[in-house]
Amino acid sequence: MRILSWVYLCLAYAFVLLPVVVLVVFSFQDGRLPVPPFQGFSLQWYEKILSDTGLMTALWHSALVAFVSSAVALVLGFLAAHALARVRLPGSVVLRGVLIAPMTVSYLIIALGLLTLFNQTGIKLSLWTAGIGHVVINLPLCFAMAYAAMGDHQKTAERAARDLGASEAQVLWLISAPMLAPALAAAFFLSVTFSWDEFIIAFLLTRFDVTLPVEIWSMLRSGLSPATNAVGSLVFLVSITAVVMAEVFVFRRAK
Amino acid sequence: MTASVSIQSVTQSYGAAIALNDVSLDIAAGEFVVLLGPSGCGKTTLLNLIGGFAEPVAGRILIGGRDMAGVGPAQRPTTTVFQDYALFPHMTLAQNVGFGLRMRGMGRDQRRAKAEEILDLVGLPAKSDRRPHELSGGQRQRVALARALAVAPDVLLLDEPLGALDLKLRRAMQDELKAIQRRVGTTFVHVTHDQEEAMAIADRIVVMNAGKIADLGPPREVYLHPKSLFSAAFMGEINQIPVQNGQSPFGPVIGTTGTLLIRPEAIGLSGTLPLGPCRIIDAAFFGTHLRAHVAPLAAPDLCLTVHLPPTSTVTDGEVLTLAATDFVFLEA
Amino acid sequence: MSLASKERTLARGLVAPALLWTLAFFVVPFLAMLALSFAHMEGRKIVQGFDPGNYLRAFTDWSQLKALINSVEITLTVTVISVVLAWPLAAIIAWRVPQRFQRLALLLAVLPFWTSYVVRSYSWLLVLGKNGVINQALMGLGVVAEPLALASSRTATVIGFVHFFVMLLTLTIYANLVQLSPNYARAAQDLGAGRFATFAHVILPLTLPGVITGAFVTFVLCIGDYITPQILGGNTELTLPQLIMLQMGRSGNFPMASALSVILMAVVSLAYAGCSRWLRLDRI
Repeated sequence: MRILSWVYLCLAYAFVLLPVVVLVVFSFQDGRLPVPPFQGFSLQWYEKILSDTGLMTALWHSALVAFVSSAVALVLGFLAAHALARVRLPGSVVLRGVLIAPMTVSYLIIALGLLTLFNQTGIKLSLWTAGIGHVVINLPLCFAMAYAAMGDHQKTAERAARDLGASEAQVLWLISAPMLAPALAAAFFLSVTFSWDEFIIAFLLTRFDVTLPVEIWSMLRSGLSPATNAVGSLVFLVSITAVVMAEVFVFRRAK
Repeated sequence: MTASVSIQSVTQSYGAAIALNDVSLDIAAGEFVVLLGPSGCGKTTLLNLIGGFAEPVAGRILIGGRDMAGVGPAQRPTTTVFQDYALFPHMTLAQNVGFGLRMRGMGRDQRRAKAEEILDLVGLPAKSDRRPHELSGGQRQRVALARALAVAPDVLLLDEPLGALDLKLRRAMQDELKAIQRRVGTTFVHVTHDQEEAMAIADRIVVMNAGKIADLGPPREVYLHPKSLFSAAFMGEINQIPVQNGQSPFGPVIGTTGTLLIRPEAIGLSGTLPLGPCRIIDAAFFGTHLRAHVAPLAAPDLCLTVHLPPTSTVTDGEVLTLAATDFVFLEA
Repeated sequence: MSLASKERTLARGLVAPALLWTLAFFVVPFLAMLALSFAHMEGRKIVQGFDPGNYLRAFTDWSQLKALINSVEITLTVTVISVVLAWPLAAIIAWRVPQRFQRLALLLAVLPFWTSYVVRSYSWLLVLGKNGVINQALMGLGVVAEPLALASSRTATVIGFVHFFVMLLTLTIYANLVQLSPNYARAAQDLGAGRFATFAHVILPLTLPGVITGAFVTFVLCIGDYITPQILGGNTELTLPQLIMLQMGRSGNFPMASALSVILMAVVSLAYAGCSRWLRLDRI
């Protein structure tokens, strides 16, 4: 039983890690095809993609959309969660339901709905329209995470601050936000991750200024290429670095 | 620095449930008042109404003669020490204590000096850079007190502040709380369900039950001469003996129809109210006294609790002639 | 104004931005799409109206209906396989791996999350393709003489999906398992339950809410995904999202695309209704 567990674990890791290993290994392929046999080590594909201005612009766009849309989603979600956790409004349950609803709908449908809206109102597609879509998908996440983190402890601390003369803005800024910092940081981090990697909304709602996933998508049209491997490996490296940094600086400290 | 509180015909309800039913109470400036009662009696509701965390559906609350209707907690001359302390976990003790002063626009250095002074007052010197999670329960309690006192409120509200402490620490903190109140002179309104705590600290105890005031007065008065069966029983163990037209089960007593109330320690071998010969049912040694259950021979079904001197030795079944030194008669 | 109503006004003010955003960019667009789904095409022009023709076509035109059936089949297959594979993996990490290596083990198990979603599907092409790693290895070992047609098939799509969702479910099930007090199992065994009985009557029911929540999320994400079937499925069969994109892209038939989207959403709602009793969406 014990040995079986370890065998299973190894097989599972093999399955999970196989495509990533293949991806990274063949990004160094000294040849035109990222498939065996491995013809030698070369950094030529990295050179190629790093000097590809289209790709680098897309990378910048992705980062911009991810950070701005996540920041907007976080602020909106936090304010709403703060209000709904504290005051019982008539229809609170419905309000929460409406705010969470986009979570249960496929991104494709959200994208199509927004596309319909933008087409009918004559709004031109741009990075901004994609950003609007990303706020829609990340707002429920930020709201839910902030709402879940607000316990009774939080509520009495806010009460105490109000009792001591803090205005509503001061309560939010000096008490609620710092006390919720770990949850808010986690929500922001997840939002950035989702937005950064989101394809279908960005694909349907941008036109000329595209994001990285969309740019990678268009690279795929030309078939298998070690350049695509190199992009994937690079994204992988950046993400892992971000995860490790977040783990060390944000989450470790919060404990 | 101190103000009176006047509660006038206050009623509070949550939906159909009535939490406070037409309660009136006057608290003098500088008084230490304890609201005492079981959970759900309305004592915390009353405290929240004074603090401005809720508003009554009917009645008025005046602090220092000023009507508090529509005045939020921040604007009231009250501060609250919360049951779970509600210390801000991300701030140091000095920042916690100085928070109210910061909200009032006091400068950083002044704030810090003031915070250290108050931490000193509550017995926490040289700890101002610690954070709440580094402290013990008793120390956190002191910080919460310091934070509430730092803004020099006219009225300090304490919501079961000692509830989370163990018994020994609680008794020690009571004395300190009383001493601090004497020193600062602020009106203290303190909520608890522990009658010993109430007696230890209160100038005046307000016993509450089911949204109404069941009794009020100085501890001695409420304990020795309760004005209701509820407060008599809540303040401590008491024998309740039914009386019909002046007749008790063990013989004639004064009064008409009602209940005769006798504390266990008021029963002894001599006294003004004779209980007649009683049989000892059982007895146990309590250190300060010998606690025994007895049944008067005249009324074998009645079981009385008595506190005999710790030096006395009795055996089960023994018959003693007992009498009460002090008693209260409540007419039905 | 009373304090309570002041508080409520303030709360409304704080909820308003999020609510307006959701209404303007989620509810209204959805209603616009719903309205559009009842329009029809005349040539390349969209004619508004109330015409249920798109829905009739979705269920009667075999090429359209087949996409729906494909999607449901693939999604159910993926969900079941992923749960069955992820449960033991999560359990092994939670119970067999020493405490201090658990975070690392978990991080390793979800490592591919951190590459781009598009690239992750693409990397399976490198593994499963005609000249891919598996075929080359099998031919090198002499197991097969001709490369197997692994890519561009439903199998490839399912493998690509399972890869992603095993990671997701391992996370959610693991989170569920570590919360379980070991005393549940101890109590069951103390009362005479064997290993299997403990698992079947105590552990499995206790993790069921977590598993169902994870499975529901898998279902929603899987049935709405366009990338994985598009990259790995080839053009042998279409899924619903592929069909939606096709209607939009090739023929500009937005009404039909909208109708298909509404159907897609209805399928998700059906799944939601089916397992809502156990769902803990607020606790993901």
